[in-house]
Amino acid sequence: MKLTIDQRWDLIDKIAKQTVTFGEYRHTLKDAIGELTIKPFTGIPIAIAVMYAFWSIFGSFAGFFTDGFFVRLFDAYWLPWLQEVFPGQGGWLYAIMVDAGGIEGGEFVLSDNCLESFGVLTSGLFVAIGVVLPAIVIFYLMLALLEDIGYMPRLAVLIDTMLHKIGLHGYAIVPTILSLGCNVPGVTATRILETKKQRFIMMTLLAIFIPCGAQIGIMQDVIPGLMGWILLYLIIGYFIFGYILNKIVPGKAPEFLIDVPPYRRPMLSNIGKKVWGRIAGFFKVAIPFVLLGAAIVGVLYQLGVIRFLGDALAPVFVGWFGVPKETAGPLIAAFLRKDLAVAQLSVIEMTEYQMITAVVLVSIYFPCVATFAMMLKEGWKELLGAMAVLTVVVFAYGGLIHLIGILLGVA
Amino acid sequence: MKVLLIGHPNVGKSVFFNRLTGANVTESNYPGTTVDFTKGYMNIGGEDAELIDVPGTFSLDPKDKAEEVAVAMLHENKDVRVICVIDASKIERGVYLALEILEEGYPMVIALNMWDAAVDKNIRIDINNLQRILGVPVVPTVAISGEGIKELISRLKEAKPVEIDDIIKNAGGLT
Repeated sequence: MKLTIDQRWDLIDKIAKQTVTFGEYRHTLKDAIGELTIKPFTGIPIAIAVMYAFWSIFGSFAGFFTDGFFVRLFDAYWLPWLQEVFPGQGGWLYAIMVDAGGIEGGEFVLSDNCLESFGVLTSGLFVAIGVVLPAIVIFYLMLALLEDIGYMPRLAVLIDTMLHKIGLHGYAIVPTILSLGCNVPGVTATRILETKKQRFIMMTLLAIFIPCGAQIGIMQDVIPGLMGWILLYLIIGYFIFGYILNKIVPGKAPEFLIDVPPYRRPMLSNIGKKVWGRIAGFFKVAIPFVLLGAAIVGVLYQLGVIRFLGDALAPVFVGWFGVPKETAGPLIAAFLRKDLAVAQLSVIEMTEYQMITAVVLVSIYFPCVATFAMMLKEGWKELLGAMAVLTVVVFAYGGLIHLIGILLGVA
Repeated sequence: MKVLLIGHPNVGKSVFFNRLTGANVTESNYPGTTVDFTKGYMNIGGEDAELIDVPGTFSLDPKDKAEEVAVAMLHENKDVRVICVIDASKIERGVYLALEILEEGYPMVIALNMWDAAVDKNIRIDINNLQRILGVPVVPTVAISGEGIKELISRLKEAKPVEIDDIIKNAGGLT
């Protein structure tokens, strides 16, 4: 037998009256903190402080391990040792695996650091382990803390009004923040949004504008001074194109109701398990892709494909986006791993503004293959739609950034 | 035996799942952590049982894609026993979902989870009376510390379909 909704609530009323008694409830310190962090007047400054703390801990932890330890290890020991022992210096296998080197005064010279060498075992390993690993360890540690304490729903409430402007609601902060670690779980997390319209907007914006932890980690290391501008361009793009998508995508963007859970003390074992699970995933999935990406780009360089592509697309790169044509190589690598692409960009000679533009392009031009696969799993129609939006965004926004540079007199 | 964990978002279903199967699905303190189903195996009295963790849902009328997954898993597995996980501090709406599932004839046990938090809030629940009215086992639990989980599992065999008419009768009739 099925009850109507009214009958069901009527029955529940009867049951509750006979079984539940509510005693006096005293406000606790936890409740007080809970309220302070959710009321806009106090909550917003606290949210800014939390984000700032997140950012500075992230930067100093990752920097400590990368600059203080891995850079030395890789550049002073690993690279020279491999350059020494790997056979066939100057040959194609040597170039792909260890060091593509450079030509100076007509002579082949070896690279002196792991970013310039472009080898699978040098640049590839250095990017994956030396730079990205410390970054994602600290990122996931802090994310797990925020998740388990119960801060995320509060952030969602605080940012609700802003996200309504782009057809989403506060809870879209969850897929957004998860994407800052890795876009793949970010894409699956869009399932918590109610309508197709919201899921489409969210998925598209994530794939285009949210840089993953690996990418942020490498930016932090190789172009720390420019990162602020790059992130600013990405955030502005997220809102501009979200606003436009909200206007043109049909469908509803309903309000959201949320249960804000009480703050809970995080359990060390759970934090440990989560962080470890994500790092294990990084070793299993990301590292092979970084190495594969380095190998593919290395081979394409050796075959002259990248030079050919760069020349063929030079009008687009130089004329429209205002970046050097060598950007073609990193853009291919970016399909496999964005972190690798940024590392490769960082050693190409260009002006600061070109670097900003190029890194923004690498971020927005195509989701990495893992994200692509996950989007396909969520629905091919959405994926096609997102790709169409992406194409427009790359050309429109890339051109706009170039134009801004011209107007500012820096490009 | 097939067992399905169902309940509102953020009531601790994944914590139960990990404890019972030794699996490693993500647990967090926000609604919407689980967005897909996971299957695992546990042992009940020497017998292998399949346990399924699904996203949280407020009712059987899904409001988003994650809830759709939960409802679909319930409807695809007609032969499951249901562990309905209810936040002990918010018992009314938990019972709403439980009633919906009972109306469809699924055998059920109820876990009143986060029992410790309810005690802290001075909420008292008459377990025996609740069991009498609903006609299904009701077990207070604290999933993160493991309290009550053994009893919950041992009482899975008592789960049986109940007639809504009986519940109405036990509760003293509708208005």
